[in-house]
Amino acid sequence: MLAVLFVLILLPLLAVVIQVLFPGIFFGTLKTGDLSLLLDIFRRPLWYASLKNSVLLGLGTTVLATLLGGALAFARSRWAFPTARLLDISVWLLLITPSFILAQGWVMFAAPDGLAAQRLGWDGASALVFQPAGLIAVMTLSKFPLAYLTVKAALQWRVERLSDAARLSGASPWTVLRTVELPLLLPAIASGAMLVFMDTVGDFGLPASIAAVFRFPTLPYSIYSALYTSPIRFDMAGALSFYLVLLIALAMSVQLYAMRKSRFDFLSSRAVESQPRRPARGGSLLALANSAFLAIAIGIPLGSNLLMSLQGDSAGGGFTLDHYRALFQGDSRLAQGLAHSLEIALTAAAIGLVVGFLTAYVLTYTSFRLKKTIDVLSLVSLAVPGIVLGIGYIFIWNQAWLQHIGLLLYGTPWILALGGVAGAIPVITRIMAGAMAQVPERLLAAAQLQGAGFFSRLRTVLAPLVKGALLSAGLTAFGSSVFDLALSSVLYPPNYMTLPVVINKAFEDLRFGYASAATLTGAGLVVLIILSVDLLARGTRRRSRRTTS
Amino acid sequence: MPAMVRRKTVTALLALSLSLAVSACGAQNASQNAAGPAAEGQAPAGTEASTAPEASTAPSKSDEPLVVYLNDFDEIIQPMFEQATGYKLELVSGNGAELASRIEAEKGNPHWDVVWMDSMPLIDQLGKTGRLLEGWTPADIGNLTDFASGLVPANGTYYPTGAHAAAVIAYNTKAFTKDTAPKTWADLADAKFKNALGMADPAVAAPAYPFVSYFFQSQGMDAAKGYFDSLFKNGMHVYPKNPNVAKALTGGEIKAAALQESNAYALKNKGEPVDIIWPAEGAPASVRVAAIQKETKHLEAAKAFVEFLLDPATQQALIDKGEESYFEPSAKGVNAKADRAGDAKLVLAEAAWAGEHEGEIKQWFADKAVK
Repeated sequence: MLAVLFVLILLPLLAVVIQVLFPGIFFGTLKTGDLSLLLDIFRRPLWYASLKNSVLLGLGTTVLATLLGGALAFARSRWAFPTARLLDISVWLLLITPSFILAQGWVMFAAPDGLAAQRLGWDGASALVFQPAGLIAVMTLSKFPLAYLTVKAALQWRVERLSDAARLSGASPWTVLRTVELPLLLPAIASGAMLVFMDTVGDFGLPASIAAVFRFPTLPYSIYSALYTSPIRFDMAGALSFYLVLLIALAMSVQLYAMRKSRFDFLSSRAVESQPRRPARGGSLLALANSAFLAIAIGIPLGSNLLMSLQGDSAGGGFTLDHYRALFQGDSRLAQGLAHSLEIALTAAAIGLVVGFLTAYVLTYTSFRLKKTIDVLSLVSLAVPGIVLGIGYIFIWNQAWLQHIGLLLYGTPWILALGGVAGAIPVITRIMAGAMAQVPERLLAAAQLQGAGFFSRLRTVLAPLVKGALLSAGLTAFGSSVFDLALSSVLYPPNYMTLPVVINKAFEDLRFGYASAATLTGAGLVVLIILSVDLLARGTRRRSRRTTS
Repeated sequence: MPAMVRRKTVTALLALSLSLAVSACGAQNASQNAAGPAAEGQAPAGTEASTAPEASTAPSKSDEPLVVYLNDFDEIIQPMFEQATGYKLELVSGNGAELASRIEAEKGNPHWDVVWMDSMPLIDQLGKTGRLLEGWTPADIGNLTDFASGLVPANGTYYPTGAHAAAVIAYNTKAFTKDTAPKTWADLADAKFKNALGMADPAVAAPAYPFVSYFFQSQGMDAAKGYFDSLFKNGMHVYPKNPNVAKALTGGEIKAAALQESNAYALKNKGEPVDIIWPAEGAPASVRVAAIQKETKHLEAAKAFVEFLLDPATQQALIDKGEESYFEPSAKGVNAKADRAGDAKLVLAEAAWAGEHEGEIKQWFADKAVK
């Protein structure tokens, strides 16, 4: 397991960091690099500001998005209310939509000349959004799905008698929530928070797009500007990436400290699958609140894109479907890109699911000495910008000798799949670990005593108990790797463009309408796939219940 | 038993996802092995040589495609070249940073044969460090314009195929008229235009560097720093990239901008309220050059490609049909876009100078932008 993570994530990253120490090591020259680069973060104004901004944005978003995602997940799995399904769909949409597209939507909405000012006559939107707190809010609305999914996956099973016991002892529902139910969810909440933090500090798309209106350089932004320099500064990118990794390590230590000595494996044979119930009252209120929330979280960023995709090219032109028509006319690049991306994402999600499941198992049930290392490793690829990881992949997988053993993966679609797996592992591992934390080891031990082998234990005991998480994890990984831009833009083989590369290119060519139309079409298709798989899985579950009752 | 059925579901799901994965990989393998020239088959043709070692021992050169890294014209150049010469072509397109990252990371084992980008300083540096084919002269070299032949380096490592303005002055016609808009680069520092102007960030946008480097070489480092400082003091908005500048300009957030030429004309042609001024002192140019990788295994095809790009007929086709069609051709006998100003004057910093000072200048901007 360690080896797999090592090859997939650490090695490429290490390659980039080693560049700082020994520039040229991959090209046959050995000389020592300039270590003072690492200290430059306190000397160069841009770098220092980037570090500060990244920490601020990361912390603020983590707190808010975890609260928001957690609360939503809690409400969603406890109560049945109209529009609840809409929340799930929106979460997927937000999760898979590339962050630069979301950000673009927000910019279109809130820019001084944006939709808010022009169509709604609301001039204050710009000042509200384009300030640090506004960015944190936008980030929160984009990243809360990670916390939502993690917590929701952990809420799949309920041990009612724990809550019942508390109620019988006279605790109010609020006290039960605060002292029994929430603490038991701590691992999942912490996992979700970590994911949010990683994804926020590693995000390039959002700060970059918002920077169009408001300058807020973050670490990934500075990493990019090191790469936009020629002669290209891999060493600077490496040094800055080192700080990103450091941030992760710090965040992980905080998490470990917070959860020390506690046990969360509360599932027992009394656990029941939680079913949302119709609330005694306030169902319509919930629906209303949910709709209002979605109107902001989804409506603003994606709605702006929708509007953009329907707007004619000429200024002041009316609405048109031209951009959608253009998607499938002319060159077939978009269709091909979509096919490539789906192929890569499917492969990545499937391999990632196996690796992530096993990693989570190791993290949860073994006393393996390097557990903590695995834990950190499994998160690194989320925080380190794809372009840095991509460069590392080239260093590692483009060495001439690999050709002789047929493993020169750079230049083949396999390198994209590999990168996709690396990108999928953090999400899968976190979601799985959050769910597994609830499954006591003794359930597995019991099966072992009955003579069940390792794989049959996983298959017949563990997997069924965490199947909701498995599904969430697989689908999340699939969805987000379809749109992985940064990695595929430096790794895609000749004539093998992927969907995000095509979209980004359209954006850079000022074809905003086309870019928006392509994004919405691609995202719509992916969400459709995800929902049908989800529904299919649910359908079989429901049917199985009916046959047995 | 519910548990039993549930177990089956999960097993089935796992099996499904695995089989999908296998079939996805299978599909890739299959297409990798397909040698057909169909659209889908082209992609893996290049990978064939790298994944199958035996294929590389005896390559029949005409079958292996030429790999070109480029940042524009990827939408039309492939069929044009293939039809004209019979060589097969494969493209990797991306922005300047992505391609530069790739070229640099591939240093030990380059995958590209030709690079064709509007980043002359970068390519000049590649030439200086011995990574480009040296001393080769294309057949039709005599047909270069005077401007273009002045740009060919002594070691013959690259050849210009055209040049465009890294920035012209573009203004929103709702805010200014031809008379009230800024007309010179010095005007951008005028208090009249306080908080009304924008430009792209040289630390991020590829074409913004040729723009600023011109001032740094022609005025000297300190004077240029003073000039840009005065722009910042005048409330200059700095956007990451030219498309962002374009959006801000049409949206009304800024009223005039130093905007890359084809972006500016694209806005105008879309009917946006934008007009263009070519400063009389000249617009800093970004030069698109083509260079051949030193170790290329496809030398004949690579030379054919560079000569094809220098061919007046090709350049005319790029101007007539390409997306980045506003540029000054490098070959004689080619007509630039009719609506491109007749008096368009291009000026530029020497490639060697710009290449040597790139890190320093970009860093200055990057740190400046924070304040």
